[in-house]
Amino acid sequence: MVIKEPIQWEQGWGLMQEAITKLKNILEGLTDEKSFTSEEYMNQYTTIYDMCTQKLPCEFNKELYDKYKEIFDEYLNSSVWPSLRDKHHEFLLRELLRRWNSHKVMTRWLSRFFRYLECYYIERRTLPSLNTVALSCFRDLTFDKVKAMATDAIISLIHKEREGEQIDPSLLKNVVHIYVEIGVYEQDFEVAMIADASTYYARKATNWIEVDSFADYMLKAEESLKRERYRVREAGYLHSSTENKLVETVQHELLVTHATRLLENDNSGCGVLLRDDKVEDLSRIYRLYHEIPKGLELVANTFKKHVTSEGARLIQQVEEASNSQTINSSSGVQEHSIVSKFIELHDRFMAYVKGCFMNNNIFHKALKEAFEVFCNKNVAGIPSVELVAAFCDNMLKKGGGSEKLSDEAIDETQEKVVYLLVYNTDKDLFAEFYRKKLARRLLSDRSANEDHEKSFLCKLKRQFGGHYTSKMEGMMTDLVIAKDCQRSYEQYLHINQHVNPGIDLSVTVLTTGTWPSYKSCSLNLPSEMVKCVEAFNEYYTSKAKHKKLSWAFSMGACNIHGKFQKKTIELIVSTYQAATLLLFNNADKLSFLEIKTQLGLDYEDLVRVLHSLSCVKYKILCKEPNTKTISQNDIFEFNSGFTDRVRRIKVPLPPIDERKKVVKDVDKDRKYAIDAAIVRIMKSRKTLGHQQLVLECIEMMSCMFKPDVKVIKKRIENLIGQDYLERDPNDANAYRYLA
Amino acid sequence: MHKLGRGQRDKLQQFITITGASDKVALQALKASDWHLEGAFDVFYSQPQLKTVADSRHLEKLYNRYKDQYVDMILADGITLLCNDLQVDPQDIVMLVLSWHMKAGTMCEFSKQEFISGLQSLGIDSLEKFRERIPYMRSELTDEQKFREIYNFAFGWAKEKGQKSLALDTAIGMWQLLFAEKQWPLVDHWCQFLQARHNKAISRDTWSQLLEFAKTVDGNLSNYDSEGAWPYLIDDFVEYLQENGIIRKSEDADSSLKL
Repeated sequence: MVIKEPIQWEQGWGLMQEAITKLKNILEGLTDEKSFTSEEYMNQYTTIYDMCTQKLPCEFNKELYDKYKEIFDEYLNSSVWPSLRDKHHEFLLRELLRRWNSHKVMTRWLSRFFRYLECYYIERRTLPSLNTVALSCFRDLTFDKVKAMATDAIISLIHKEREGEQIDPSLLKNVVHIYVEIGVYEQDFEVAMIADASTYYARKATNWIEVDSFADYMLKAEESLKRERYRVREAGYLHSSTENKLVETVQHELLVTHATRLLENDNSGCGVLLRDDKVEDLSRIYRLYHEIPKGLELVANTFKKHVTSEGARLIQQVEEASNSQTINSSSGVQEHSIVSKFIELHDRFMAYVKGCFMNNNIFHKALKEAFEVFCNKNVAGIPSVELVAAFCDNMLKKGGGSEKLSDEAIDETQEKVVYLLVYNTDKDLFAEFYRKKLARRLLSDRSANEDHEKSFLCKLKRQFGGHYTSKMEGMMTDLVIAKDCQRSYEQYLHINQHVNPGIDLSVTVLTTGTWPSYKSCSLNLPSEMVKCVEAFNEYYTSKAKHKKLSWAFSMGACNIHGKFQKKTIELIVSTYQAATLLLFNNADKLSFLEIKTQLGLDYEDLVRVLHSLSCVKYKILCKEPNTKTISQNDIFEFNSGFTDRVRRIKVPLPPIDERKKVVKDVDKDRKYAIDAAIVRIMKSRKTLGHQQLVLECIEMMSCMFKPDVKVIKKRIENLIGQDYLERDPNDANAYRYLA
Repeated sequence: MHKLGRGQRDKLQQFITITGASDKVALQALKASDWHLEGAFDVFYSQPQLKTVADSRHLEKLYNRYKDQYVDMILADGITLLCNDLQVDPQDIVMLVLSWHMKAGTMCEFSKQEFISGLQSLGIDSLEKFRERIPYMRSELTDEQKFREIYNFAFGWAKEKGQKSLALDTAIGMWQLLFAEKQWPLVDHWCQFLQARHNKAISRDTWSQLLEFAKTVDGNLSNYDSEGAWPYLIDDFVEYLQENGIIRKSEDADSSLKL
């Protein structure tokens, strides 16, 4: 049995030295041999193995471990570093890549040879592994010395590529990969790269913004982002973890920093794009800003401003047109045309919201807020809700042009009007104006189509609740009942000829409270009419014993024959006018005061009536002096010389402007509504702070109107005075409910 | 008797002057209230055995001196006579304090019940005692709590019977009287404001809240909360002051009350 002799250090190390030299030659390309044979590998491995496992004093673990590092140190210092030292730019990168690859080969072989150290020595002493040692050597002795320059070189290459020059993509990719492998990608490369990107795009942005339109700028921005992403994903020469940071940086420089200036540019900003219907550009803007946090809010804001200014512009147009009309012009611009303009505007911008802005809620909100601003403004001094009511009146009355439209078109318009109403804060005021106009349509038989009326009420009800439309629906029902009543009255007269006054009278019985209130009349009727009224009164009270009738002559109409010299003409007039004219059956000339005394009308009404009969188109009465206005000293005479080519004319009596009264009535109702709300809130809360009470009150009323805080305060004080509430003795700012 | 300090001796003297009590009683009352004059008065007047017995016969006699010829009440003439006897001006605010003690329903008249019970509660049964009580009644105005009660009492007392609100002229007169005592620097502006902008009667709520306003809000309105529960008239007053440059608006004051 041969006992193996322990290998001495010089001997063992000598063997290793040979292998190492061979390895260096391979790396330097100084030999044709490309690698070690298996036998050679086995020898090296075994040598090391022996030298590690031998007994002392021939156990050389430590020495070998130290030597391992020494090998690298020596090689890096003597061969590698000198070859890199004087190189720059792309040459540096190439050499670095070459040296790195060599280093990896060297590490692979050497760590294989020295493998045994890993098994026991390194582990037992928890020393850095062979790979770690090799890597640190490269890093400390080579990489760290060149990394600054290398980073700059890489960034220059990227810059070149951005500017459109050709570069070697694989070089870039592989060199960057070195950083990753060494583990210094972020701090030694990425940070600098991102900073460079930021500067680059900041500069680009400043250039582009001076020269390009918003649309073009957006195109360039989109392109830039695409290319940066490409750099990471497809070309792969930036690590995937960089993508988000890079994209964010580019977005920030291109889209965020100058956002306001871009979006609001007078010549090419969002507003202009909307005006010119540049759908594609707008979609691009949406796409790009969608990725930026709070980016869409910026765009939506510009959108809102544009819509608001468009609305304001429409108002201005209509106001200018109405100002330039003369007062008595019959073909004046009707202010309520603005309603259809608003509807058009809404359709147009909603299309954008649903289309290029992808139905995004932020834009829905912006549109809504914009409309809420200008839909509540007065137009030419007229409250907007009154205009909407006038628009509806026009749509639903005879001769309003709606007869030409199809049912679907009318239905659609009605829907849109209701939608527009949602933006209005004074919904209760609208209801009142609408009700007044509805009443007039119904009572003078000017409603074009009952179904249309009903369908509009239906839509209002659906949007705002049954309470909102209950009175209006009541009015429609009343008419139906009234017609029945009239029919049975006529039958009654037919049967009871002796009570028949000889003149046809049709009566519409209205329920008080459902209809607008008509002031009770002091009119002295001509005797013929008195008989009719009395006959009906008798009939009605016999049928409905508990009900009391009060007559509203201000709303009535009358057909009378005017026996003029040339021919008899049938005149369709209001009851007031008829009563006035019939006075001239008994007198040739009457003064203003005489007429007033005999009729019992009040001053304003009489002026209106006489004006309509003597100062405008059809002069049924002659007036002395022949001026255009009525005065107390005027004298009137039947104009027997009057004639017209037709046999029947309508002499209109223009209604009084009810706006002030409507607003006053609604204000009063609001006060009661606020009172009721306050009491209801306090009853359930018992004690509540002032601010809280105000807020809840506003909340409660919000579906119908927006209460004024001052008014709420006054109502609270009023209720304190009436002992519904008291101030909380323990809290200066709170109230208590008094049961 | 241990020695009294100078301050204590002064207080003792004051007490005796005002209440007419004996040395011993005065000392007791002051000690019991830890040498606070106000508290000593309360102690003195609330203790039955210390109270001077108000002889009801004397009270009747006193009442009859002032009562009206035709009606069983003391009316304006009687009150004038009373003021004369007391050597007090009828417009003097102490008359208000007196009315408060009597829980009088309306100014310028006292019912028999009011007169007698009022005097009893004050421990008065002779003109002399009445005169002696005057300084005490005056001093009550300096007490925060009592002033508030007297102030709030004044509303009901000064207004017309059967009315809910106080006529503006009367209110202004009362305010000027009351705030002369209390020293509220804005009282004149307040009265001017009301005459220029309001010109209507004053509600009870506004009346009572004005005192709180005068007490809590400082001279340049820096701690005035425009969103607070002040009556709208006071909010208007603040706006008036700001509009006329009497008070400068602070930077963060809400100039708009609309939400």
